[in-house]
Amino acid sequence: MWPIARLTIKEIIYKRVFLVISLMSLALLIFYGIGTYYAQGQIANMNRGPMGGLAQGFMSTQFYGMGLYFAAFITSLLAIFSSVGSISKEIESRQIDPMMARPISRASFVMGRFVGLSLLMVSYSIFLFLGITAVNQFLGNQLKVVVSMSQVLQAGSLFVLQSIIIVAVALFFSTRWSTLNSGIVLIMLYVTSMLGGFIEQLGGITQIKQMLNFGIVTSLLFPIDTLFRTMVISLFESADDPISMATQGIFGSTSAPSKWMLVYIGLYGVMALWFAIRSFQKRDL
Amino acid sequence: MGWLCFHLYGQVEEEKVVGDYVIETNQLTKLYVGNKGCQDITIQVPKGNVYGFLGPNGAGKSTFVRTLLGLIQSTSGTGTILGHPISSLESRKKVGYLPELFRYPDWMTGRQLLRFHSEMCQLNSKQQKMRIEELLDLVGLHNRGDERISGYSKGMQQRIGIACALVSDPEVIFLDEPTSALDPIGRKEVRELIRDLQMQGKTIFLNSHLLSEVETICNHVAIINKGRLIVQGDWRELSAIETQIEITLSGIENLSFDAMPELVLGSEKIRTEKGKESWMLTLKDEESIPELISALTVKQGKLYQVIRQKQNLEDIFMYWINRQEEVEHVANR
Repeated sequence: MWPIARLTIKEIIYKRVFLVISLMSLALLIFYGIGTYYAQGQIANMNRGPMGGLAQGFMSTQFYGMGLYFAAFITSLLAIFSSVGSISKEIESRQIDPMMARPISRASFVMGRFVGLSLLMVSYSIFLFLGITAVNQFLGNQLKVVVSMSQVLQAGSLFVLQSIIIVAVALFFSTRWSTLNSGIVLIMLYVTSMLGGFIEQLGGITQIKQMLNFGIVTSLLFPIDTLFRTMVISLFESADDPISMATQGIFGSTSAPSKWMLVYIGLYGVMALWFAIRSFQKRDL
Repeated sequence: MGWLCFHLYGQVEEEKVVGDYVIETNQLTKLYVGNKGCQDITIQVPKGNVYGFLGPNGAGKSTFVRTLLGLIQSTSGTGTILGHPISSLESRKKVGYLPELFRYPDWMTGRQLLRFHSEMCQLNSKQQKMRIEELLDLVGLHNRGDERISGYSKGMQQRIGIACALVSDPEVIFLDEPTSALDPIGRKEVRELIRDLQMQGKTIFLNSHLLSEVETICNHVAIINKGRLIVQGDWRELSAIETQIEITLSGIENLSFDAMPELVLGSEKIRTEKGKESWMLTLKDEESIPELISALTVKQGKLYQVIRQKQNLEDIFMYWINRQEEVEHVANR
């Protein structure tokens, strides 16, 4: 397993994919920092009147939430694009033949890919999550969201978990379909999940059951948006608050997902990986 | 080694001593949609031999090798490599493989590729270092080991592929069209390498459609066509498909061999030189040679030369392919 994990990491590093993404992410953080810095100056001037405190709270969570939302979006896309071809491309190009003719099991190969990709994605997710958080905390002033270390750790773990779940699902698709098909299906799932999340929140506000149910179904199908919203709740600590939606805005949640949902997400990832191994064990190369 | 095992359509015609086989299959079948692939292949590859697996393009040679190595799963039948069932990890522990479509991560250098494969074969770092240098030297890439594979020519990629196949010092080496991208010098070097490996006691399973290549280095040959094994056995035994002699004689007027159908199946006059006629004769069997010579002597013929013709692999190959088609034709009627 470890030679494959090392190969996966080296491949992405040698191909400079990660270097380019990291530089682009650094640029994103700089722009986000500049935006936050100027926005907090404007907020300081606007902060007048009896609703000023609420408006400031809303703006600060929106700025932080927006940063995290796009960070999660980029991380998810990177997880999709780096994982989706990690097995199928090898099969399509026949590069896998000399490797699989070695005394290495198919399960080890999938696990090696998973470990390698997950390690990279975990490092990148931590970098981006901490970068966005640091911008909010050190440049935010008026937009700073007060968060404890335990909140950051909990939210950071959930942020990291998103990309690990995506890697597991992407590997499953990669063992079954071509890179292109897997990529399209995964992007569609991701978009559906995000869309379902927004519809569920709107359903929560308007109390329309069908909209809520749609959100629940999409979160069961691909629970990435649920993870993101759980992260936002854990960070802003205002779930089940009557004015929760007002302070969390479009990136928050009207109700916190249950602990069982988190258990489901954990099992979802494990099952995706298990199915990836089973599928790869059965297929012809 | 007293190894001989002729199979035609699964029927054993003759079987002598069964030695220790490194590869054995029993009706191994891999069928794709449309019944393409290979079907009911039963072979035994004796240890320390160069085993040629011959067949036209699309005959199912690579499918068979890929099934043996567990890259694809068999539809039915069984097989073992070094006594371990195919597709088990143990069966691949002492095996090297050069695929027909050799593709390696082009962002790696040759040296990195060999290190990666030696890691997969669980060589320790000292063994890795020694083996890598040895192999780069062996395949003539010692000065190019630190260059990226993307910069390698096709021939160089095939060379690094051969090095890769040998990295674990395997007992069995599968070479699928190992000289397809090489120039004549490279081909010669690979042939010499195969001979050296054989001298070291390794078994080489050579998949090729280049008959001349197989003819020069293989001790044993199997011929496959349309996914089915036609024949397998010792190359010298297989080559005895018919007895042909070139005979030079004089002293017999209006010589014709048509009058000796019990001995001569076919005759062709090659040349006449200074009153001596040279004929190419196809005889009924080996025993017909002395009988024919006696008959010609009785007729007062003067014999100058009798040369037993050796069949080349192309003739043998075509003979067995045609024979299969004849059998199929009769069966269909």
